[in-house]
Amino acid sequence: MKKIIFSVLAITTLSWLGGCSNLGQVNAWEKGNLAKPMMTFESDPLDQRFVQHVYSSKENSSGGYGVGGGGCGCN
Amino acid sequence: MNKSPSSFALPASGVLLASLVLPGLAALATFAPLTASAETAPEQTTVSVKYGNYQDSQANWDRVKVNAAQVYVQAPIAGEWSIEASGVSDNVSGATPYAHTQKSGASSGGKTGMSDERHAGDVKITRYLPRAAVSASLAYSTEHDYTSTAVGLDARWSTDDNNRTWTVGYGTSHDTIDNTYSGGSISGKHKNTQEFMGGVTQVLTPTDIAQFNLTRSIGSGYYNDPYKLYENRPDQRNAWIGLVRWNHYVGAFDASIRTSYRHYSDSFGVSSHTAGVEWVQPTGRWTFTPGVRYYSQSAANFYFDPVLNAQGQYDLSGTVQHFITLRGNTSADQRLAAFGALTLSMKASYAFTPSLVADVKYERYRQSAALHLGGAGSPGLDAFNANFMQVGLTYRF
Repeated sequence: MKKIIFSVLAITTLSWLGGCSNLGQVNAWEKGNLAKPMMTFESDPLDQRFVQHVYSSKENSSGGYGVGGGGCGCN
Repeated sequence: MNKSPSSFALPASGVLLASLVLPGLAALATFAPLTASAETAPEQTTVSVKYGNYQDSQANWDRVKVNAAQVYVQAPIAGEWSIEASGVSDNVSGATPYAHTQKSGASSGGKTGMSDERHAGDVKITRYLPRAAVSASLAYSTEHDYTSTAVGLDARWSTDDNNRTWTVGYGTSHDTIDNTYSGGSISGKHKNTQEFMGGVTQVLTPTDIAQFNLTRSIGSGYYNDPYKLYENRPDQRNAWIGLVRWNHYVGAFDASIRTSYRHYSDSFGVSSHTAGVEWVQPTGRWTFTPGVRYYSQSAANFYFDPVLNAQGQYDLSGTVQHFITLRGNTSADQRLAAFGALTLSMKASYAFTPSLVADVKYERYRQSAALHLGGAGSPGLDAFNANFMQVGLTYRF
């Protein structure tokens, strides 16, 4: 199952990237949309701390997002 | 720990909430670069306050309720520095299962098992350099049975064209567990964790940006939940965590779609998949963000299933007798079982002015063995649901 999932993700990603001839070569004047708040990875630190704390309290897995506070100091 | 289940007091302890949270690296709250452009010091001061409410339940049983008040401040210093600080004070009440999803005697009559308060804070200092930034953080939290101290360091630097940002980080935490204050028998137990993280954020196209982070966590110490029966967990837990995030701007709707996938694997034998998708849709002063999250994990290799009777119901004596035959590490904690979970969320924010924004968010969570990826998960567990709500206000000046 894991191999299938990873294969599907890899193929999907590569197919998407295959249509981008200038992948990763973006000029400064082309980044207007990337600079919009909606394109940030963590737009609301307190929201993410609260949610990640809930998940780490109810599921075994935690971490990886770089959010959540330190030790017990997350919420 | 030798009391019978019916007489066992089962507070929703701080340990339950604290033992699984992130150590030092997590104190660097926004430590991953937000975009692939070079970081600069903030020009404005940001103050945010947020109130969160959480309530979970399973069939005929309201379990844990949390009310949390948070505050966050970020301020520039001398143009090349910034300081961030946050604090949280929360109240936890209710009760949790003593094993699997079995109701504790303390709450079977509808009474809450306990009420506990937690106070925590962290501070982070960042120094901005040309195309780079370095941060140091300190976090501390305390509650009646659990204290934690964590420190973290990280550095980020960007390529000349600002299309790629590399990140490295290190964090460490030291936790102490002592529940003698509330009549427990656990005293002077410790847990130490170190985390190493590397990542890259890459602009792919004028409408796509992606991020990959890899984290290695190495922990040792006391991992039991002292409020549950049958606990004899390993004294070491190491984990690999891989995270991919991809944001795409949808020009036709002036919206964005934010996707993420996390793979987690640890030495307890648990591996998990977490996938999330959000659609961010600004409309005038409003911004609406519906989202969905799916999670699935395998069971820890020392988790044991309950014994069920002929009617498929929980057989307490059979489970106890089965436990007695087990050797080595054991746990009947539901959170170490094989299950899946689904969250539906909706967030709405409203900008009174460009500097003053209010937001409200609601999430509905369901966890059950039936949602386990690739087939049924661990048997004999009741599904549980949770609602969480957040209300916040952010002001910049």
